[in-house]
Amino acid sequence: MVDAGLIAIGAGLAVGLTGLASALAEKDIGSAAIGAMTENEKLFGKGLILTVIPETIVIFGLVVAILLWLNM
Amino acid sequence: MLLPEPMSRILVVGTKKRLPDAIDLLYGLENVHVIDFQGGEEGFTLGAPLPEASKASHKLLKLRSAEKELAIDAEAYEGTVAESKIKSELDEGIARMEEEVRLATEIRNAKQVRLSEAEARLAQLEPYRTIPLEVEMYRGYDNLDVLAGHVRADPEPALERGLSGHYELFTAKGGSFVVLFVSSKHADEAQRILSESGFTEVPLPVGSGLPATAAAELDKEIKSAKEELELANKEIAKLNEKYTSMVLASDEYLSIIVEKAELPLRMGASAHTFVLEAWVPTASYDKVTSAFAERFGDSIHVELLENRGREEHHADEEEIKMESGMTSAEAMSLPIEEEPPVKLDHGRNSGRFEFFVKLLSTPRYNEIDPTITVAIFFPMFFGLMVGDVGYAIPFLVLGALGLKRCKSQEWRAISTMLFYGGIWAAFFGLFLYGDMMGIEFTHAEHAKNLVSGWETATWASLLGIDIPHTLFTIPGIDFDVNLGYATKLGSVQILLYGSLWVGLAHLIVGLIIGFYNMIIRHGLKAAIMEKMSWIMVMVGFGCLLPVIIDALVIGNPDALSLSNTLLLVGIGLFAVGMLMAVKGEGGKALIDMPEVVSNVLSYTRLIAIGMSKAGMALAFNYIALGLIAGIGMEGVEPTTDLVMLIVALSIFTAGHLMIFILAILSAGLHGIRLQYVELFKKFYEGGGADFDPLKIKRKHTVEE
Repeated sequence: MVDAGLIAIGAGLAVGLTGLASALAEKDIGSAAIGAMTENEKLFGKGLILTVIPETIVIFGLVVAILLWLNM
Repeated sequence: MLLPEPMSRILVVGTKKRLPDAIDLLYGLENVHVIDFQGGEEGFTLGAPLPEASKASHKLLKLRSAEKELAIDAEAYEGTVAESKIKSELDEGIARMEEEVRLATEIRNAKQVRLSEAEARLAQLEPYRTIPLEVEMYRGYDNLDVLAGHVRADPEPALERGLSGHYELFTAKGGSFVVLFVSSKHADEAQRILSESGFTEVPLPVGSGLPATAAAELDKEIKSAKEELELANKEIAKLNEKYTSMVLASDEYLSIIVEKAELPLRMGASAHTFVLEAWVPTASYDKVTSAFAERFGDSIHVELLENRGREEHHADEEEIKMESGMTSAEAMSLPIEEEPPVKLDHGRNSGRFEFFVKLLSTPRYNEIDPTITVAIFFPMFFGLMVGDVGYAIPFLVLGALGLKRCKSQEWRAISTMLFYGGIWAAFFGLFLYGDMMGIEFTHAEHAKNLVSGWETATWASLLGIDIPHTLFTIPGIDFDVNLGYATKLGSVQILLYGSLWVGLAHLIVGLIIGFYNMIIRHGLKAAIMEKMSWIMVMVGFGCLLPVIIDALVIGNPDALSLSNTLLLVGIGLFAVGMLMAVKGEGGKALIDMPEVVSNVLSYTRLIAIGMSKAGMALAFNYIALGLIAGIGMEGVEPTTDLVMLIVALSIFTAGHLMIFILAILSAGLHGIRLQYVELFKKFYEGGGADFDPLKIKRKHTVEE
């Protein structure tokens, strides 16, 4: 039996750090997208898509956390 | 119905004599999308506006200037005027109004000038107010210089030292303003000393008498000038009231004239004829031709140039491909010949979701209008993420109210999302999760004790009534219809697993639509290489999914053995699909390959968001019901204290209100994101031009 506490910490790190990474990436893209939108409102859709692309990182983190948690 | 309406290109040729009537008819049909004349046809040049355009523009200019002077708000005003009335009163009315407005604004401007002059003089006099010298005494000396200005520090000690008595200094109340009288010989020295105290010079006052008296008089004058200005403004406000309806209606009337008169700028013209190309919906072609024939007989000729199909022709695609050795995918990205405008064609219910598609971009002429997929999947995903009857009911109420009351497009779109999402949320809340406000109706076995020491509340126990878990059994297939099959926090594994399958199905739907788009654009072969390949990859991944779960999560060692048919079929489909994709699209397909996994995993958010909402709801319920009201706590009797019950109720309400608002944001945003990013990328190109027929939009006038 692996130590449950360590697994929980690992799962927390997996979600937390990937969340931070997504946030850092999205912050830059988001502000650029807002900038582009003020020039041309039609870019909303494209801006939204580009902004959410780094979300994949945190989803992978979530999956890793869930795999860890299921093995607890 | 799924594709935009078919379009036909027509050519209208006629004599210039009939041009004004023809323009009236074109606007009246409301079905003609004009193609701008490009030139190039021999003997034809760009047309010139009709003669009435310049006169109308001139009047329009006057009206617009009056509109600005009177500060008329065209958006806010709703009234209408009959067109015949405007026509009869136009010239006289404009002249009269212009005169009145000119007079009123002239008076207003004069008052404004008087006020600002008085204010400027007062500002100049202000610093001298507390110095007891008459204004005349500041000027007219032969051997004396007068320096007046603001200082930062008191210059007196330094002046005393430097000029030894050849000066006289006056300091205003407060000490930051000084006036220095100094003999001309010492003026330079005095300047230097003053500048050390941070001296900034101001002009000397003009006029006569004591500054304080003069300033008091100016104060009086400013007051009266302000009153007069207000009167003048009131006069203008009266004019605004009097003329708003006339000005706006005439503006609209003249704008229509100018718009119609300038239509020839989009046509070709020779000395005696005009020629116009336009798109009309194929379905209304007959109507258009018969309307022209009826009105003009033989003098205007309407010809059908083509009924546009859906296949795509790139400018000299074959030649370029041969010359430069491009792959077909590269050749396809070359500019396309002009596409017909897009008129979407769908029912009222799915039409409400058109806003979400147009937010991204208008579909192209030769692709399936994705509004229908958004209308199906967006509310469904929204409901899956909320999945709670307690939130679904306010969603339904708010959405229905919004659809009834709201007029702006954005609010209508949000109301649409809330209403249809609310329906799905109620459905999933009742039958999938069995949840209301994060509290189950009755206990299914999987979520009894989420918080240790607290018997998780159910509606059955809270209300003290018996709610059956199985509502009824569908006879024949022996299927129990339950109030909830899974709980968001108790059966996470199975829900996550299910969300992957939802994602896979959603993506395959997208690819099938893409396959169809490809067939109508480039034919079956390209469709198979570029889309069928991806469908095979997806299905292959679908076969591998249970194997991966088996091996990684459950830890079954046999899962990866070669005797597992699912594994073999999955790998086979995946590999063949990949090879086809590489052949069809080039090396780019390999880069896209990991996306298969990340796209499918992306759908775990459907459950993750529901889970986070349920977790928050559990926390608030535990605090309100368990800790404060003492319901279901081990070894504690439920409280009967009224104050405690009120506190519990307010925490319960505030907490769920917060979750409710967060649910709109996160479920709405992630629901639409799954459409835009995951689904649309599989088939949607967008970038079409909206069908924009010639049409008169009236707001302030009515035609009889």
